[in-house]
Amino acid sequence: MQVLPSAVNESLKASIAPKPGSGDVSVSPAQQSHTVEPDAEGTPRPSSPSGTTCKDLYAIVSQVGEGTFGKVYKARNVITNVHVALKRIRMEAEKDGFPVTAMREIKLLQSLRHQNVVRLYEMMVSNGSVYMVFEYMDHDLTGVLSQTQFSFSQANLKSLCSQMLAGLAYLHRKGVIHRDIKGSNILINNRGELKLADFGLARFYQKRRRSDYTNRVITLWYRPPELLFGATVYGPEVDMWSAGCIMLELFTKKPVFQGNDEIHQLDVIYRILGTPSTERWQGLTALPWYELVKPKDVIHGHFRELFSRWLSPAALDLAERLLAYDPTQRVTALEALEAPYFKEEQPPPELPVDLSTLEGEWHELETKRERAKKRRKLENGLV
Amino acid sequence: MATDFWASSHYKRWIVDRATLKESRSDDLQYVDDPEYLDFFAIFFANVITKLGKKLNFRQRVIATAIVFFRRFYIKNSYCETDPFIVIAACCYVAGKAEESPVHIKNMVAEARLFFSQQPYGVKYFPSDNSKLAEMEFYLVADLECDLTVFHPYRTLLSICKKESSNDLQTEAGEVGVGVDDGPRYWGSGDGQLELPDDAFQLAWSIINDTYRSDLCLLYPPHLLAITALYLAVVLHGPTRELLQQQSHSVEVTPVHSSPRRSSRQSSSTSLGHAKKPSQDFVAFFAELNISMPLVATIAQEIISLYTLWERYLEDSDLVDSAKSAFHGHAQAQLGASHSGVSTPVENLDDAQRPHGATPTFLLQVLMRMRENRLSDMALASSGRPVAVNKMLERTQAAG
Repeated sequence: MQVLPSAVNESLKASIAPKPGSGDVSVSPAQQSHTVEPDAEGTPRPSSPSGTTCKDLYAIVSQVGEGTFGKVYKARNVITNVHVALKRIRMEAEKDGFPVTAMREIKLLQSLRHQNVVRLYEMMVSNGSVYMVFEYMDHDLTGVLSQTQFSFSQANLKSLCSQMLAGLAYLHRKGVIHRDIKGSNILINNRGELKLADFGLARFYQKRRRSDYTNRVITLWYRPPELLFGATVYGPEVDMWSAGCIMLELFTKKPVFQGNDEIHQLDVIYRILGTPSTERWQGLTALPWYELVKPKDVIHGHFRELFSRWLSPAALDLAERLLAYDPTQRVTALEALEAPYFKEEQPPPELPVDLSTLEGEWHELETKRERAKKRRKLENGLV
Repeated sequence: MATDFWASSHYKRWIVDRATLKESRSDDLQYVDDPEYLDFFAIFFANVITKLGKKLNFRQRVIATAIVFFRRFYIKNSYCETDPFIVIAACCYVAGKAEESPVHIKNMVAEARLFFSQQPYGVKYFPSDNSKLAEMEFYLVADLECDLTVFHPYRTLLSICKKESSNDLQTEAGEVGVGVDDGPRYWGSGDGQLELPDDAFQLAWSIINDTYRSDLCLLYPPHLLAITALYLAVVLHGPTRELLQQQSHSVEVTPVHSSPRRSSRQSSSTSLGHAKKPSQDFVAFFAELNISMPLVATIAQEIISLYTLWERYLEDSDLVDSAKSAFHGHAQAQLGASHSGVSTPVENLDDAQRPHGATPTFLLQVLMRMRENRLSDMALASSGRPVAVNKMLERTQAAG
């Protein structure tokens, strides 16, 4: 077990957690900074708010991931024994200093608070690095789907799907597009709660005005067709496509559209959903790369036949609405939550609370090798 | 959503009281001859940030954020212990990233080096090494406690004045909750909107710009600054004021209306006569906002004090978008000869030594003296109490 170096006593804030009624008490930053002032002599300070020096506030337990701008560690608050995830932001002094993606993520997460969005407890400066301190989540979706000890019931899967959509509905209501929904960014704890994480690619959008954004977002397998067709003007619908991919993955336990590059990605999608036509997708021919990547032959989709062995009819209906080619026809997160799959079809959603019986912690990183092995077995078993 | 501001770090941690501000200047006060110079610093450095921001093609909002970062940094640090120029560069650099207008570090260093090396600053030591700026950035972000979301009065002004479609709002993409606060306002009550002639609106906008020349952005929430700016604009904008006076409610406007500093001869003569009949009762509008009007009056007084001080701050060329001119008539009457100093070369230090004015050159000398005094104090206090040394900044300077 490794302990963070002493400079953790520069910890910026005991907590950013709001206390009820704290709104009318204005604590001056100057006073706060005084309480966390680094001690020049390195001698233990008499006391900090938590009653001990911040030096050993967090003890690192293990590395659990590799983020877009640095490593993610599991750590334990030695006073409360609560586990947290520490995401280290790597400074690129030679390039552009504090990564703009990290700044975006910090700004976004500081303004978000929802049971299905990972909670940023505080920021911490230690030894020349900035750490984001998150609530700890035992697993990520990719990891948890790759293990074989525990299998989710239909009601569990419905709950996970609904939690993901609730998180997205919240983000979209707040004017945030996530732009990187995928298995390793969806976290699950042992209480069966699902939370969206990694907002390094997310950004605010304006509801009344469509803006031009970069097209190079979202991991290929979860990228919606309009982006593959070169669209730069888009909105929260891009997340809904990814959500559709995740929904199928929950049932099949592996990503459904596994392309090798952009062209192949579209090909894989065509093979399952059929090729898009202007009847299915009105703005299709106006998209920037239409001439470059348009389908060569007409392929008929066999989506329902393919997935009916895993998904119930109502689930198939919803997945189909999430994977609508035309972004304007794609179901919104809020509408999706009202789908018959959740509201009518049995069984009702049920938190996968039995996850607490699962041994080990399943993250994409720490299970990578094992998962690859197991997935090969699994695939052999399936095919 | 609509309550974003009340849940924000801006509201919870970065609105401070006067005592805190005074405390934060205690080291500087030891080394400065006249405490008023520190108020001039507030104007001077805000002007430097504005000018550098314009060189970088920053929008007003980015410039405003950079200034807020600068002020927040100096709640925790002293002018005499730091190099404000590298701090300014870092504030602009971070504000660019935080407001989705990033500048490459190389360009930032080049622009800052070039700009600061010119007169009146003549700063030759600005480090050419990117990593020095990156280091300062890290230090700045740490002192900002990673609170990078800043609220500004512009949005309140725009939403009150129905200017939602203007370009300025469009440029606010990236702000928390933009496009979502169609709901109730986060402050006060009422959802009425004010129909204001364009030039009165412009005046309010400029007054908001001007508030950044002081610590007002640390003292009051942005929506109150916006409403005060509107209030001043309504009172100071000639045609609007005349309309107001025609209305029978004028009695209620007394808090500032009766202020001896209210008058603004020049603004009434320069403003374009948009003698549009108001469909609206301004007094009733302000009353319906259900915010503390005495507080607005206090802020109005503080803004006017800022203008009074600013009148005595002389620069070769005043900022174009300043509403300062609205106050010229009054200030000239009160200060007499002081403003005529504009016509004499500001580099003349004897001139600047006058107790009642300040120029950039003079203020830079004040800063140098403060730093020298502090350093000699430290040298003498060989056995004495430990003096807080900002190692990183010292190193940065030494290398530069």
